[in-house]
Amino acid sequence: MYPLIDTALIRLLLWAFLLLALLGLGVTAMRYWRRKLADQHSLVDRINALLPQTQCGACGFEGCLPYARAIANGQAINQCPPGGDGTIIRLGNLLNELPRTLNPAHGVVVEPRVAFIREDECIGCTKCIRACPVDAILGGPKLMHTVIARECTGCDLCVEPCPVDCIEMRPLGPDHSPRWVLPNSGSGTRTSLEVTR
Amino acid sequence: MSVQLHSRVLQRAPQSTRAIMLQVMLACTPGILLSVWFFGYGIVLNIVLASAFALFTEAVILSVRARNWWQGLQDNSALVTAVLFGIAVPPGLPWWLVATGIVFAIAIVKHSFGGLGQNPFNPAMSGYLLLLLAYPLDMTAWHVPATRLFDDTAISTLGWYGLQQSLLASFPGLPLPSATSLPAIDGLAMATPLIEFKMAATSALLSARESGLSFFARESGTGWELVNFGYLLGGLYLLARRIISWHIPVSIIGTVALLATLLYAPNSFAIYGTPYLHLFGSATMLGAFFIATDPVSAATTRRGQLLYGVCIGLGIYCIRVWGSYLDSVAIAVLFGNLCAPLLDHWCRPTIYGHGARQLPVTGGEWKA
Amino acid sequence: MSKLAHPVRGRRVHGIAGGITPAANKAASLRSRIMPCPLAPLYTLPLTQYKSVPLTPAVQAGDYVQKYQRLTTSANPDAAHVHAPTSGRIAAIRNCLIADRVETLAPCIELVPDGADTALGCSPVPDFRKLPTSELFQRIIDAGICGMGGAGFPVAQKLRLAQSADCQLLIINAVECEPFISADHALLRERAADVLLGAEIVQTVCRAARCVIALKRDMHAAISATRSALAHSTVEMLLVDSKYPAGAERQLIEAVTGMQLPAGSLPLEAGILMLNAGTTYACGQAVVTGSPCISRITTLTGSALTTPKNFEALIGTPVTFLLELCGVKQHDHTATVLGGSLLGVELASLAVPSTQTTNCLIAATSADLPQSEPELACIRCGYCADVCPVRLLPQQLHAFARNHAHAQLQDYGLTECIECGACDYVCPSHIPLVQYFRAGKQELRDATRHFEQAESWRTRFQQHQYRLKREKESARERRRPESQPTSAPVSRHSPAFSREQAQNEIAAAVARSKARQQARTNRLLASVPKSSGDPEDSGGVA
Repeated sequence: MYPLIDTALIRLLLWAFLLLALLGLGVTAMRYWRRKLADQHSLVDRINALLPQTQCGACGFEGCLPYARAIANGQAINQCPPGGDGTIIRLGNLLNELPRTLNPAHGVVVEPRVAFIREDECIGCTKCIRACPVDAILGGPKLMHTVIARECTGCDLCVEPCPVDCIEMRPLGPDHSPRWVLPNSGSGTRTSLEVTR
Repeated sequence: MSVQLHSRVLQRAPQSTRAIMLQVMLACTPGILLSVWFFGYGIVLNIVLASAFALFTEAVILSVRARNWWQGLQDNSALVTAVLFGIAVPPGLPWWLVATGIVFAIAIVKHSFGGLGQNPFNPAMSGYLLLLLAYPLDMTAWHVPATRLFDDTAISTLGWYGLQQSLLASFPGLPLPSATSLPAIDGLAMATPLIEFKMAATSALLSARESGLSFFARESGTGWELVNFGYLLGGLYLLARRIISWHIPVSIIGTVALLATLLYAPNSFAIYGTPYLHLFGSATMLGAFFIATDPVSAATTRRGQLLYGVCIGLGIYCIRVWGSYLDSVAIAVLFGNLCAPLLDHWCRPTIYGHGARQLPVTGGEWKA
Repeated sequence: MSKLAHPVRGRRVHGIAGGITPAANKAASLRSRIMPCPLAPLYTLPLTQYKSVPLTPAVQAGDYVQKYQRLTTSANPDAAHVHAPTSGRIAAIRNCLIADRVETLAPCIELVPDGADTALGCSPVPDFRKLPTSELFQRIIDAGICGMGGAGFPVAQKLRLAQSADCQLLIINAVECEPFISADHALLRERAADVLLGAEIVQTVCRAARCVIALKRDMHAAISATRSALAHSTVEMLLVDSKYPAGAERQLIEAVTGMQLPAGSLPLEAGILMLNAGTTYACGQAVVTGSPCISRITTLTGSALTTPKNFEALIGTPVTFLLELCGVKQHDHTATVLGGSLLGVELASLAVPSTQTTNCLIAATSADLPQSEPELACIRCGYCADVCPVRLLPQQLHAFARNHAHAQLQDYGLTECIECGACDYVCPSHIPLVQYFRAGKQELRDATRHFEQAESWRTRFQQHQYRLKREKESARERRRPESQPTSAPVSRHSPAFSREQAQNEIAAAVARSKARQQARTNRLLASVPKSSGDPEDSGGVA
């Protein structure tokens, strides 16, 4: 009595399988390589997408996109105070770098704020309008200015140029809408690092 | 601070992790009792030793990890690991080896990955594999007292004499009253029938077969097939109680049986063995129903579980037949654990509303 | 417009995926008939029938109102208005506790009944088929009906959408799969004909081609009553499996049509309108009797009640009053649940009123609803995936939610979760999975909002940069023809000059501003001893 499948057939099958596997590996490698090439182009975009887009310039660059370009060229990832730890961690994940603490030379993490112009003190000098990186201040020469709060990034850049110091940064009011939260972790569970926003 | 919303489902099914673990242990008992009947108290000693070390290690590690260790012990998961480990390692293993294996299983394999629910590998089988790699001789020899089923002329494995022998094997140098008068161990270093069959070229077994003795003659370990039936019984109990699903055991047993049937060659190679031998001659049933179904390290999607079972079945058969290791369930299960996350990722079920049977939808022109 | 590609297939039903079969606990409350509710000492009528439609009170404290009188106005023509459940005097209009997800304070009208129960006259209609559709619709709008299945969406708005969406199929949902609730069962058992009449009216209004009423297989009394009433009706009956959550919107659509609603789309986009049986009944009553919706069938059950039963509870009746009607065993009563035992919320205060969405109140003993056990680690047993009606993998989603892995949450379809709680029910580790999923969804919503905000800032920054560049270029263009290339210093000089000028102007303005500030400070200081003389300053001092 002979085996239902003899050894020659098994060997044939093995070879066929091996060949197919090699072919598959080759195709996968090619696709991966192509993908990687394409990604190189969008690296700056992907870094930029992780930055908070406050355009505050605390990192030492003119805005978030310039900083993203600099990061793509090797600049440190811990120079963004508005993003805080969350941004550093996400940048580290993207670029395979270990997360670091925020470089204190560039500022400290503050809660989200919004600029507010005390309108009866405003003299209409338009200096803040020119300083605003996202054109969120309305007004004309010798006319009162005001901030579009929805568009204000809280970047601080308009405070310093104001000659009469009528701009103040106000913290965004706490959100009182009810929120679903993760259940209080019982024994053996501990939430991982909270991503701060 | 905003209002935090909390909700809970007020009615719950009367099922708990604790109870599941207890039922798994309960389901092991037929197999364990049969093992004791055939191989003596060694297996019980193993289980007791392993449980004690497992509980102790679990408690220590939990308190080191700043968890409530008393609550942590309540889930019985360490006990299940200890029982499976105790069954898997051969009886007559010295106590320090049992301790090494189970401490490695609990401390490294389970807790260094984050404790219950987080370990990617089956702790009991990892501990077994560590011992197998480090102490291959001790791990393949089953030092059991001489036994003879249904034959009162021989010494029973049970009874005072058997107990002393088992104790001596586990604790060498134990000052037992009859220790001096006893030979250290009877010396029936017996492997599983499968292993013997694998080494049949040089074994007396083959000649015994050729001289007309049935394969399942007592000398080659009649006990094994009955022990396997014991575990099969326990497995069926778990299936009936819906503790485990049928997917993993069926696909493992199916794969092994299929391969064994297709490749069975009585005259060409002795090592291929009969399907019956593959299913009942070693730890296949224990592996298929109790070890591979450990939910933490197994695949969790149902289709993934089928593939996972196929992986393990392939592993069991291939390592047995072509590998250099003597038994293969542990290695195959760890191999399956390795594949499980990928299988789960591939085998995600189609979510409602994403499948093929979809209602035709008009544009949302009526929307406000 | 094409008909539904796969119409309802006779009485054969497609099973839904997953599902659980918890103990139904409905028999106790079904033992008696639906009882009318005696007058309570006080009715609290919330002004927010549905969260997005605010209502303004049309009455004042002290006004005398009659039963059925409309108490609110709204800018929205389809708003669900509040009507007086009985005659009496308005005691106050103030913020009261109402039962939402959490007990919240909301504006309410408090009505003290006078006991006379004098009603405004209504105009009954013997045969609705003689009325034009617009008149039928107007009667439904005027009745102020909200969806009684749970969410409480105003029915008028739903019907308005259905009219413009080319509705093909009307499904009356009487499945009521959650344990303890028996309101729809009792309603169909006793008033099946009225429910079917309502169904026909709604079908006429939304111009649906066919109408199906779906019941659960184990509602025997309701099924036989409906079957006998069907003899005079064009409505079809369909029985679905007795498991939870067979009555969930999307799952019921699959059971009825054999096809799934595509992810992210609403039933009306597929030409399907689904209404709860109680809502349908209220629509029918609104047209036939001409009276607004001032009551609903509410199940009062739980082992802490001596006589559990279904009441036709007036809207605004205090929960305590309803419970006492059934005799509360005080020493056994551990918790009161609003809704069923799976999705219900535990009431912290019994002072809340019942509303149109109050389908069930459970006065539970500790045996009914045991205390929650501590959450243990997930062992990935996969029971949750077996019972998920959406075929999600809750064990994976749970891990992702804990780790805030937003990309994976999205990838594994968290947004498709219907929060039915079946996974929670079977979890042997007692993990509050629904809570995890709600928190995960919240995080996803927040992340989307942040992303959109950042995107808008990014575009504005780019536009800003572009504008600066363009201005610079246009300035250069303007300068070039006027001045010679050699006059660069001059051109550089002129803005410096103007800057100087500007600085002067600014300095003057700063001085003015400072002077003004000084003046104001002086005035403030001066006004302090004068105390309450100046109304503007008194606020600042106080």
